[in-house]
Amino acid sequence: MKITLNVNGNLHEINIDPGDYLLEILRDLGYKSVRRSCHSASCGTCTVLVNGKPILSCSTFAASVDGQTIETVEGLSQGEKLHPIQEAILEEGAAQCGYCIPGIVLTGEALLRENPEPSDDDIKLALNGNVCRCTGYESQNRAIKKAAEAMRGDDYE
Amino acid sequence: MLSNVKEYFRPKTVEEAFEMMEADREHSIFLSGGTIVALMGSSRIERIIDLKSLRLDSVSIKEDEIVVGATTTVEAFRKDPLMRKEFGDFFYDSFSLVGSWQIRNMATIGGSIAPKLGWSDVSACLLATGAGLMVYGPDGYRRIMLSDYFALPAGEKPLITHIIIKKDGWVSAFEKFSKTTFDIATVNVAISVRPERGRIKAARVVCGSRPQYPMRFETIENALEELEINDVMPSIVRSLVFDNFTGGSNMLASFEYRKHLASVMAQKAAEKIKEMVR
Repeated sequence: MKITLNVNGNLHEINIDPGDYLLEILRDLGYKSVRRSCHSASCGTCTVLVNGKPILSCSTFAASVDGQTIETVEGLSQGEKLHPIQEAILEEGAAQCGYCIPGIVLTGEALLRENPEPSDDDIKLALNGNVCRCTGYESQNRAIKKAAEAMRGDDYE
Repeated sequence: MLSNVKEYFRPKTVEEAFEMMEADREHSIFLSGGTIVALMGSSRIERIIDLKSLRLDSVSIKEDEIVVGATTTVEAFRKDPLMRKEFGDFFYDSFSLVGSWQIRNMATIGGSIAPKLGWSDVSACLLATGAGLMVYGPDGYRRIMLSDYFALPAGEKPLITHIIIKKDGWVSAFEKFSKTTFDIATVNVAISVRPERGRIKAARVVCGSRPQYPMRFETIENALEELEINDVMPSIVRSLVFDNFTGGSNMLASFEYRKHLASVMAQKAAEKIKEMVR
């Protein structure tokens, strides 16, 4: 079957099998930031934004998002300039092996769009579906808060 | 990839969706949020019938009832301004404990009820609010209570189109115990009471993940009638739940552990209700 996906502003018309998951299709299209980990809707590593909302691409049928807008980490940075959440993750040492980071960045981005001034509890609630086995989460929570401050600042474009 | 899937349908009407299911029930499945279907990974599934094309994803008010489209996501439901206005923080807080943010953006209210999952926090909370369902089956549309839906014979699978919740002034609270913040419940408890002059005039007490599907405990509900809502009330609720809990054991917990947890969760829920009523 044929579907259309708008991924990071790029329109893709593709043929898929009806049972294909979004994760597989995005990786086939070259969006390698979208990673498989648990494949049981438990870890958040495969998170992408569909119409601005974080979802799990490992458990979403590609056919079910036909015609919708999808964002991956590839769409966040502008050339060499990293997104404020990516910058903050680097500055706070919030990535070690880095495998879970695309999911965390996108969930954080969705949170800050919805709530530009999140409390610690808001961040914990938003990120509780993103499992990280390296950092212990505190540095990631700090990074989201730091990015929020940067994104609220006048110098943020 | 769900490898045996050969067809993917997007019906435009409820009737069309049901006919598609009836055409080959053995190999077909309704897709609402999709989390259950994807995780089942069943080789039996050859035909997916996507219900999102039905656009049953709105929350509206009709006289004294809130009518929720079955494909409304759990997250949209908990954040809906109408739900917050009519039910305060009950659904907002309770459903924040359902899975993760990602899962709540995918899972739907109807899809959380339809598979009759034992651990469903959504079902437990809705049972406590006395929710009804609009379903479509071989005889057309009919309205049934959620508790009756759970009692339907295994072969009878009508399509849930709407969830109907009365705005009746009941006060509700929910508590859940799980191993991690987004794990399924080891046990969950939802309690609703109709307060009148400082006493419980009527109550609904629901325990879920027993591990069977959530059910009301009428013996406890009857015992709570006319009970004064005071500092002692929560401990009475705890004792009643401990003495009357029915359920079983599975790999998550033994019956004895569940009974203890359920009683503690019930006490916590009753504490919340006490504070709200006061």
